[in-house]
Amino acid sequence: MVRTKGYPEALEKKLHDQRYYSEDSNPEFTKNVKGISRTIAHMCYQCGTCTGSCPSAPRSTYRIRKFMRRAVLGLENESLTDPDLWLCTTCYSCTDRCPRDIAPTDVIMAMRNLAFKRDIIPVNFLKTVQAIYSSGHGVPNNDVNRAARERLGLTRDPPTTHMYPEYMPGIRKIIDHYKLKANADRIVKEREG
Amino acid sequence: MSEAQHKFAFYLGCIAPNRYPGVESASIKAMKKLGVELVPLKGASCCPAPGAFGSIDLTVFYAMAARNLVLAEQMKMDIALVCNGCYKSIWEVNHKLKHNKDLRDGVNEVLKEIDMEYKGTINVYHTAELLYNDKFIGVDKVRNSVTNPLTGARIAVHYGCHLTKPHKDREFEKEVMLNTEHPSWMEELVAALGATPVEYRNKMQCCGAGGGVRGYDIVHSLDITNDKLINLKEVKVDALTDICPFCQLQFDRGQIEIKEKFGVSYDLPVLHFAELLGLAQGMSPQDLGLDLHGISCEPFLQKVL
Repeated sequence: MVRTKGYPEALEKKLHDQRYYSEDSNPEFTKNVKGISRTIAHMCYQCGTCTGSCPSAPRSTYRIRKFMRRAVLGLENESLTDPDLWLCTTCYSCTDRCPRDIAPTDVIMAMRNLAFKRDIIPVNFLKTVQAIYSSGHGVPNNDVNRAARERLGLTRDPPTTHMYPEYMPGIRKIIDHYKLKANADRIVKEREG
Repeated sequence: MSEAQHKFAFYLGCIAPNRYPGVESASIKAMKKLGVELVPLKGASCCPAPGAFGSIDLTVFYAMAARNLVLAEQMKMDIALVCNGCYKSIWEVNHKLKHNKDLRDGVNEVLKEIDMEYKGTINVYHTAELLYNDKFIGVDKVRNSVTNPLTGARIAVHYGCHLTKPHKDREFEKEVMLNTEHPSWMEELVAALGATPVEYRNKMQCCGAGGGVRGYDIVHSLDITNDKLINLKEVKVDALTDICPFCQLQFDRGQIEIKEKFGVSYDLPVLHFAELLGLAQGMSPQDLGLDLHGISCEPFLQKVL
């Protein structure tokens, strides 16, 4: 570090810091978002192409550009406790158009993953996990559909885990490896009793 | 009937087989007429849902998608599928695992517990892509297979998001499929069936269902759908066609929910392209299970049958 100004050490340090931050910054958060998302949020120059492309923006306070800034600044609490985090439809229009080749959608996905680690997650997401754990399908078959399938000359159940439940133990083993089902059950029970 | 020139493991997903089974039966029958055999991918599960499942834990998402890929690897067959959401999971995870050793090793550590190993030996295709790409089928062959041209029907296309976006990561052989701002390759396929493809405002906008938003905030999600329906109404189409059963659910059942919640009705029939293709090749509406749709297809059918 070149020291030429003779400022107090703390200020010198701050002036030479390559990272922008505020009092609430958590550098670990920036690092974790980068690790999970595998994209380069720090390249963002805040042009707003992402928010301009976002189908959720015109009907809510969700601003993807704001989340991009939060990722760079390491604003963990602000990001993870904002209910707008869950309004991204993952249409990837922002990612498609980003002039800096960043994937803002994947930044959102990474933040959602980090939120889940703190039990911050809307229940509907967890119910998908529970459904897949029980039948292999997020949207399982039902009797009306079974009758219709038969009428169309198809098997009553599709040749998926529905027809071959012997594949279910393998699927459950994968989900249990990460304790995902146990965590989903616990959180759903806490919320819904 | 000629022998099948191409064979694929048919990855079904959830919504096609469990809500719109006509998409499954039409795909199998129509593709067979075009020289493509779709073989059941036994024991496949949910892809899993990229928005809902991926938002929770991407590591588990990768492992679950990899298991589906391994089933096809064991059959030594490439995968064909009919849903953009499934494409996002199955194609993209295949792509990521092929190119990132750290991800692949992580996934294989878990798959070892169930005696599986991801090797990266197969490719993944959407049936729309197979139909458009003359290496497999191509527009001309589609046109030649039509016995009941959908003449006079004005049809708009909903491309959906996850087949082509983000285009920077996609690897279609057909360059035009990488145009995500204003593509027209699906319109070529619609025209090949004898129908008139119709453009509309903000065609590439999302249906609003993805990312878990449909489950998280249904009104927000439907408001996005409603936006598209307003633009579609403006151009007076007889039907909307899609290549994603989840988008189809959002537009079809969604219109019923929109009527309930917003008090507006459109009665716009919504058909997967496989269903349209089936009709154009002479399958009956009964064979296609069109009566299972939330919005009646009758006015459209009267025009084309």
